[in-house]
Amino acid sequence: MDQRLRDLTEQLDAGLIARREFLRKAAVITGGTAAGLHVLSKMADAQPKTKLRVWLFKSFVTAGNDTLAKHIEAWAKERKVDVETDWATFGDREQKFVAAIEAGNPPDIAEMNIYGPMRYKAALRDVSKIATDIASAKGGFLPFAERAMKAEGKFLGVPRYSMTTVFFIRKDIMEAKGLKPPKVYDPDVVEFARKTTDPAKDLWGFGQTLNRSDDGDGFMSNILWDYGGGVWDKDGKPALGTAFLKQNTAALQFAVDTIKKYRIQPPGVMGWTDPSNNEAYMAGKLVTTNNGASLYYAMVQKKHELAPKTLLVLTPGGPAGSFVGSSCYNWAIFAKSKQTELCEDLIRWVEDESRFNEYVHASIGQAGPVYRARVDTPYWKSDPNFDAIVQNILRSVNLGYPGPTTPAAAEVQGQKILTDMAGRVVVGGLSPEQALKEAHKRIEEIYKMRRA
Amino acid sequence: MATPAARLPASAALRRAGTRVGLERVLGPDFRLGFLFVAPTVLLVLALVAYPFGYAIYLSLTRKYVGVPPVFVGLDNYVKLTWDGFFQRAVVNSFIFTFGSVSVKLLLGMLMALVLTSKIRFRSFWTGVLLIPWVAPTVVSALNFLWIYDYSLGVLNYLLVRVFGLLPQGVGWLSEPGTAMASVIAVNIWRGFPFFGISLLAGMKAIPAELYEAAAVDGAGPVQRFWRVTLPGVKNILVIVVLLSTIWTFNDFQIVYILTKGGPGGATQVLPVLTYEIAFGAQRLGEAIAVALYMLPPLAVVIIVLARYMRRGQAK
Repeated sequence: MDQRLRDLTEQLDAGLIARREFLRKAAVITGGTAAGLHVLSKMADAQPKTKLRVWLFKSFVTAGNDTLAKHIEAWAKERKVDVETDWATFGDREQKFVAAIEAGNPPDIAEMNIYGPMRYKAALRDVSKIATDIASAKGGFLPFAERAMKAEGKFLGVPRYSMTTVFFIRKDIMEAKGLKPPKVYDPDVVEFARKTTDPAKDLWGFGQTLNRSDDGDGFMSNILWDYGGGVWDKDGKPALGTAFLKQNTAALQFAVDTIKKYRIQPPGVMGWTDPSNNEAYMAGKLVTTNNGASLYYAMVQKKHELAPKTLLVLTPGGPAGSFVGSSCYNWAIFAKSKQTELCEDLIRWVEDESRFNEYVHASIGQAGPVYRARVDTPYWKSDPNFDAIVQNILRSVNLGYPGPTTPAAAEVQGQKILTDMAGRVVVGGLSPEQALKEAHKRIEEIYKMRRA
Repeated sequence: MATPAARLPASAALRRAGTRVGLERVLGPDFRLGFLFVAPTVLLVLALVAYPFGYAIYLSLTRKYVGVPPVFVGLDNYVKLTWDGFFQRAVVNSFIFTFGSVSVKLLLGMLMALVLTSKIRFRSFWTGVLLIPWVAPTVVSALNFLWIYDYSLGVLNYLLVRVFGLLPQGVGWLSEPGTAMASVIAVNIWRGFPFFGISLLAGMKAIPAELYEAAAVDGAGPVQRFWRVTLPGVKNILVIVVLLSTIWTFNDFQIVYILTKGGPGGATQVLPVLTYEIAFGAQRLGEAIAVALYMLPPLAVVIIVLARYMRRGQAK
């Protein structure tokens, strides 16, 4: 009880004041206190909430996007934080990041792709503590995720999920022709595609662009590794047209042959951009193609007639093995942010297993594991096609392989030098050796400038 | 004897008065008010044009990566670009793209203006219809053409192969260097010719009908009337429209980026797309700006010629 009311009660008991006066004074005290509390409460509400700017990646898997947005909204409500969410797509994320960083106005936290931490490392905060905390609670990092997020011994991103590519096959056509899933590109994919290509029906056994695109660039990286070559040596020095020239020549020749010699690809394939093979596959024009799980999601979600007729298998390989480039979406906190603790709290919230599990279910195969404990979950056994996704993730290698992931490697990927190289052979009339040497020169230049 | 301190204010006042009289004589009696009126414009031009332009020139002389302070490298970026094969190809492609587009836009625009000045039915309707490509957002048009040109799913191959039977099989419009360049030029022409048409139409309507009547009386046929009356009558507009369109086409980014991203194999790589790729793909901002500024001198010539023509038009 309020001290003043207690005093009044004592005075009343002692007969010092009349009952009427007691009631009058008590009413004044109680009313004043209530009014004061009400004003204080209004003032507290009027205090500005802490603001957090969050940039998310808008993938083609819209259900996953919605789930993540819902989790962040719930966190904001729980923590009483005013969250300003913005989305960046495949097509505009780099522009947005570059513009924001150069304007000195980046978000507090952003969901980035695997190259983000390497590209923007000068603007990012060291997140080693929270990354290792989260990893230790989830059985540790998968090796590719740890390597991809680390620069000079520091974590610049907290791994979230891996969006890998797999090999899509029209199961119905394969079975009708009595074929088996190919294990290597040459001769398996070539033979498979030759037997299933039917130009009269505009049906093509293999659909893989070598045009400037992420799909084309990913395929070119993989095929160089498959033949024992690559862009970089194990010390991170350019090797495209020197140490690995022989292997890379064979790989490039094969890639070009799929279009020019074997004629197993649609004639317009060199004009394709990233969504083109998705559209062609869903239109029933392709028997096989390399793509991320977003294509499978699109078919399952829309109950497309080809969804049950699609088989996902491991990416085929070459003479040196079967390689696939890694993917690791992650959370990066910008150095300019004054809300580091809130950012870390948000990461812990969305990476909570029950919430992440909901996200994985909504994403239909797109959100692959980056932590050991997330590999052997019932979800990844719920669809036979998911096995290829998980296995491809587990064996994936990083940008720059067999060397370290470097800013120069990220720049070579960003400039689409490998697809330019392939294009110079397919449509530019250069020999594979000439194209490799031309590309090597560009890579040497990048390497020197980045070192300088 | 007066001290120098006592004499100075008087002489200073005299000097100031002399200067003011001098300024008034040169700039007019209201020069102060004039300065006041001009000041906001000068400030705006300095803040919105001169400063960014000057900063861009400075950045082009630096090695500037995203998020890292610039390092001055002098003319290194320009020297490097001069010997860079991809840049050289982009310059050639830019000229092919620009002149290929502008020349056909000029022909189609002239044709459109001539048709719309003749006595045809529903002239206003046709004028409106022909303006649609110019009015439609470029991104929407380019995305539609991406579908139109698609080898398997596009309407162009469908018409040529299935409906009219003109070709035994479809063409990969965007997958061969020649057809890819022709395809992006075609979209630019489709989008840009109404601007020529409508500008020339306005010019043709300003030509007095008496000139045509006099020419007809003198026995001039339609072709002669076009060469002797129409063309001289729209000459100034023609030059301005060609120069403006040259600048716009040279700087066109959206059509090429959406349709080919500069591919296949750099066959349609033009300077605006290369600038974009270096800025956002490679994240070398200094070099990207150098690419953009490299072609400034030839464009400046076009701009100077344009400005002179416009001033001459005003004087007349």
